[in-house]
Amino acid sequence: MKSDVILITGSNTTWCHPVFGGMIKKAVKQNGVKLIVVDPRETDLAKIADIHIRQKGGSDVAWLMGVQKIIIDNGWHKKEYIDTRCEGWDEYLKSLQSYTPEMVSKVSGISKEDLYAIAKLYATGGKAAIYYAMGITQHSHGVDNVKAISNLALITGNLGVEGGGVNPLRGQNNVQGACDMGALPNVFSAYQPVTDAAIREKYAKSWGIDVATMDAEVGMPVTLMVDQAGDKIKALYIMGENPMMNDPDLHHAEHMLEKLDFIVVQDIFLTETAEKADVVLPATSFAEKLGTYSNTERRVQLGRPAIDPLPGVRQDAEIIADLATRLGAVNFPSTPQALFEEMRMVTPSYRGMTYERIEKCGLRWPCPTEDHPGTPVLHTAKFTRGLALLAPLVYRPSEEMPCDEYPLLLQTGRLLEHYHGGNMSRNSFTLDTLKPECELDIHPEDAEKLGIKSGDMVNIETRRGKVKVKARVTASIDKGALFMPFHFSEAPANMLTNNALDPIAKIPEYKVCAARVKRAD
Amino acid sequence: MDNEEIKRLFTLAIEREIEANEFYAKAAKSMKDESVRAIFSDLAKEELGHMELLERFKEDPTLEMKMKKPATDTKVAESVELPKLSTDMKPADALALAMKKEQQAMELYLGMAANCSDSGLEAIFRNLADMELGHKNRLETLFVDIGYPEVF
Repeated sequence: MKSDVILITGSNTTWCHPVFGGMIKKAVKQNGVKLIVVDPRETDLAKIADIHIRQKGGSDVAWLMGVQKIIIDNGWHKKEYIDTRCEGWDEYLKSLQSYTPEMVSKVSGISKEDLYAIAKLYATGGKAAIYYAMGITQHSHGVDNVKAISNLALITGNLGVEGGGVNPLRGQNNVQGACDMGALPNVFSAYQPVTDAAIREKYAKSWGIDVATMDAEVGMPVTLMVDQAGDKIKALYIMGENPMMNDPDLHHAEHMLEKLDFIVVQDIFLTETAEKADVVLPATSFAEKLGTYSNTERRVQLGRPAIDPLPGVRQDAEIIADLATRLGAVNFPSTPQALFEEMRMVTPSYRGMTYERIEKCGLRWPCPTEDHPGTPVLHTAKFTRGLALLAPLVYRPSEEMPCDEYPLLLQTGRLLEHYHGGNMSRNSFTLDTLKPECELDIHPEDAEKLGIKSGDMVNIETRRGKVKVKARVTASIDKGALFMPFHFSEAPANMLTNNALDPIAKIPEYKVCAARVKRAD
Repeated sequence: MDNEEIKRLFTLAIEREIEANEFYAKAAKSMKDESVRAIFSDLAKEELGHMELLERFKEDPTLEMKMKKPATDTKVAESVELPKLSTDMKPADALALAMKKEQQAMELYLGMAANCSDSGLEAIFRNLADMELGHKNRLETLFVDIGYPEVF
């Protein structure tokens, strides 16, 4: 790691990205890298941080912009970098004026002194990297949160620098790859827009189909598909996803899925969603298949099968190829390598990768030719739009804030032992033995007021539902906040979460909703 | 190979740099986007720098021209189409156009070297090709920085 300072926010890195979390821990403990953690919970990394500050849920724009105001007021910003590589300074500076330490302290709960300490260490400690995960993005103002992070890196000259940067830790091991391959409503692979006739022509030629048969319209984000079920959406083909555990506001999601005429689920276990499906296609797991994964640093790596497929299951690629052939496709590639070869020919940023080249330690895109070594750091000299835009931002509270009726703020997330909706990890004897049941984290002062002790069964309730769960009284969570993992179907956290969406990214607000807790009778 | 022949050759190369300078300067004036204007202005200045370098060799043919050959050629320019010059170009298109022009210059000199019977002249053409490869490499690095955006 080339960083001097690391700022982590919205990420319990050692639990949710254990390999990378271990690297950060090593950088801090062995190499003396300074660590700032801003998180309502005392995570493993918070325990070894130089600064750990707890912010109130949903206050990220406020504290991030407040820190920037302190940096500029103290002259710690990189003026030359801003002058040569950024634009929008005047508007940005104007919007920054409202983020006084007083305002920020009130909104975020972070003291003026702590804000100053974060600002000073981040801005003056050398090359500074920011790492964040879904604690930043899963908000009704998630895009604003990311813009605020980008602003902070820009004014301190930390973008396009090895050891610096804005580094989102993707939610799953191949989210980056899925997005790169166009598993999005508006783009083909490598983010080439479906609305561009020349791009459609290129794909039609590659696939040997008539371009006139291709849809030129932008599709629908998955969060909106559920809302349109039974209306515009009549059927769903769901692969490797379990909306009956992972969608926000599960009562609503279940109600909407029941409106569909037809559901196909292709997965490795009979998930809660598969139980509702008309057709279930059993597929191979990661351990049984060949293929590539693109990780959070854009590195494309080759995964190889460790075991033969179990009886009765088929490779995803085979299932899809068979289906495509039955729907009329000719010469549809049916092996991972054939698919990869076809893909790279139409995907400029992956074009220089071959199975042979990525065999050992992978390559980071852009890798546009077979002579290109891949690109570890982007934007070292230029930004995509030429100059980077400093974004003026207005603080917007989360959709739900604590009130008399629901006085606490619930945050959902993952545990070290389990993964996502629990589909894989809860079917693992070892992992499920290590963590067999759901627990709700509550601060000792809140617990005392409510007469709750560790191990008590409690009902947690929001405007959308009620779930019975075991309480864990712990000072690792901030006062006024609650934490509940979303892996357990016996206590499904997403019965409680809010399906309010960010207006741009359409991501649900999993990280903040108003809740109340009572001892269960 | 006499000095007059060398001077004639460098005059040809200098004219190419002047043409490129004029092309980029004119393009800079017509662009709508400020960032693209800046890219073309920078390219115009760079071409003047190349011209001055070549002038030195023209004035003193006894100087031995030994351009450092870049260690690699990633061939990024060869992987893209030449964009059409238009007033609403994006920054990546401007860089793509510039790296394609360097590729064309490099290929021109390599072609001349291949058709040369005089070993001295061939060496100069290969040096000029290496110089253009160096320019192409630099522009390719800039292009890769912004030419494959994760925008959706």
